[in-house]
Amino acid sequence: MNRRNLFRSTIAAAALLAMPAAAMADVNRIDVYITGDSNIINFWNNIIKPAYEKANPQYTLNVVSARNNIAPIVDRALAALGSDVDPQVDIFDENDPNLPKGAIEKGLWVDFTKAGLANYGKLNPVTLETDYGLPYRGTQVVLAYDTTKLKPEDAPKTWAELVAWMKANPGQFTHNRPDTGGSGGNFVRRAIHEANGRDPSLFRIDNYVAGESDERLAKGFELLKEIAPYTYGPGSYSGDNMQSIQLLAQGVVTMVPVWSDMALDAVNKGVLPETTGFTQLTDLAFAGGFADMTVPTNAGNLEATMKLADIVLSPEVQTKVVTEIGAFPAISWEHLPQDLAAKYAAMQPASIPTFPGGPWVSAISDGWFRTVAPHVTR
Amino acid sequence: MSRAEATRQDTKGRRPIGLLLVAVPVFLVLSLIVWPVALSVFDTLTVETPSGVTLSLDAYRFFFSDSFSLRNLWMTVQVAAICTALLLAISLPIALYLRFSTSRLTGYIQALALFPLFVPSILLAYALIRTLGPNGTVDILLSAVGLPKLASPYLTIWGPIIGLVWDNLPLTLLIVLAGLGNVSRASIDAARDVGANRVQLLRYIILPRIRSTLLVAASFVILGLFSAFTLPYLLGPAVPEMMGPFMRRTIIDVDDPLQARTQAVVTFLICAAFAYFYVRSIARTRREQSS
Repeated sequence: MNRRNLFRSTIAAAALLAMPAAAMADVNRIDVYITGDSNIINFWNNIIKPAYEKANPQYTLNVVSARNNIAPIVDRALAALGSDVDPQVDIFDENDPNLPKGAIEKGLWVDFTKAGLANYGKLNPVTLETDYGLPYRGTQVVLAYDTTKLKPEDAPKTWAELVAWMKANPGQFTHNRPDTGGSGGNFVRRAIHEANGRDPSLFRIDNYVAGESDERLAKGFELLKEIAPYTYGPGSYSGDNMQSIQLLAQGVVTMVPVWSDMALDAVNKGVLPETTGFTQLTDLAFAGGFADMTVPTNAGNLEATMKLADIVLSPEVQTKVVTEIGAFPAISWEHLPQDLAAKYAAMQPASIPTFPGGPWVSAISDGWFRTVAPHVTR
Repeated sequence: MSRAEATRQDTKGRRPIGLLLVAVPVFLVLSLIVWPVALSVFDTLTVETPSGVTLSLDAYRFFFSDSFSLRNLWMTVQVAAICTALLLAISLPIALYLRFSTSRLTGYIQALALFPLFVPSILLAYALIRTLGPNGTVDILLSAVGLPKLASPYLTIWGPIIGLVWDNLPLTLLIVLAGLGNVSRASIDAARDVGANRVQLLRYIILPRIRSTLLVAASFVILGLFSAFTLPYLLGPAVPEMMGPFMRRTIIDVDDPLQARTQAVVTFLICAAFAYFYVRSIARTRREQSS
């Protein structure tokens, strides 16, 4: 290299370094905004990013943690709609397309039914709640039990069977207090569903009426009072989701309600033994939900982003959803490796009921603590 | 200019600077603690009516007529009383040993007793679940030697008590140890010379001299116990709750800030009584030292 060339290349390198960061936001970058915790960010960085960049070497994935601050970025995309401005976001990993109100009508979100994704048809129908969201990982409360004490064929399949099992095995079941985590919280909500004709549609975010709704909740609390004497302790409700898992792991109890992803993760890490079994009630499942990806129609790299969405729904990545983060796959189990499907057969969701938040949360917490918790105490 | 005059001038010139230096912490305390506390107390004493804000004791009437809230308060008082008694009973012998023993072991024992100071309470909570919890380490050891399992304190009132005693031991020990510094060896030797036995030594020589120290230690510990959160939350029973978890649940889960504030004011008033003992005792010690 002669002196002149050296000089030129130095200038070029300096110019490259001096370029503002915004200019680096080149046309080949896909911005992914993550709402989830660090395990989800790791999953995108370590699993999805390499898989995608290998298949599409001309693009790079930029994984950004937005945590609970996703609203301003959605607003940015909405503001840029209809202009030439790149909203600098291509995909959200977990977002409710119904927010902000009117965004769907304005055409902000991609309609996945018309997007022509190769893997869209593989999605498990129970995971689909909206055309504008693409489910890719889910979690639901299931019952985890010790197969050395309870044979899988004897595991309860309905609420009535569960109660009968508890009464026959006093002290072998516990759940955490509903304010300390969703596994106990959704167990309590399942009792409320049971007492109200197993009809989740009775409980909506906008139909809580003090007095009338409290009577519905009270019927559920009556069921819980009935089983309270047969819980561990009796009436020793654990302090969070993890403590229930720990009580099961230490062989103190035989069965606890758990979040499926937490429990699968616990099995993968050896916190729960391989002899842990899972069962779901078939008359009405415990509550849970799926994370929906959304894509703004004005994304800078719309076509490349749709390829990304397709890869996330591919059987390879969906298998990793189960093995790496312990979540439910969004595609049907028949598209996944058979041994995996067999291992988690009992966890496959047939339906995923939901229970609204808002005023219901306070009514349930206050009601449970005042009526069910003091019913029996150690 | 005489020397006295110079000193007077000197202090005069320094006064504004001194006041300025004090002003910053005083301002912080007023704006970050006193003002918000006053607002909260005001909120609990008033209700909004169509004709404006009027004084009302409704929030307190609810608290003191609600058996659920009273039961939680009672449990907190019980736990605080039991913990304080246990802490004094445990730390006094250790402090006496550390003060009067000439053995080389004292250094190690002191380090061991202060160790809990460096363990975060969340770690302690999970460690206690694993050791004292059902089928925990203690149970495994007991069953290895053919003894029956422990009636586990986990998820009962004794869970937080054990955790809080462990957690507060170093602080109590340090205070009692400092108080024992006031007991001179000479007075002990003198009492021994006239034939006092150990119990008499403790009763007539040592305890009278550290009475105010014990009061200070007790007040200090009780203040901490009333605001305890992590250990009661993770180790305690669902009901009754201690005031810490109860207040958190009332404001976050039950979404009732007014009752949460009322609970806080009631807790604060009880603590204020102990703070009064503490301040009075400190003031008396100062007076004695200066006279």
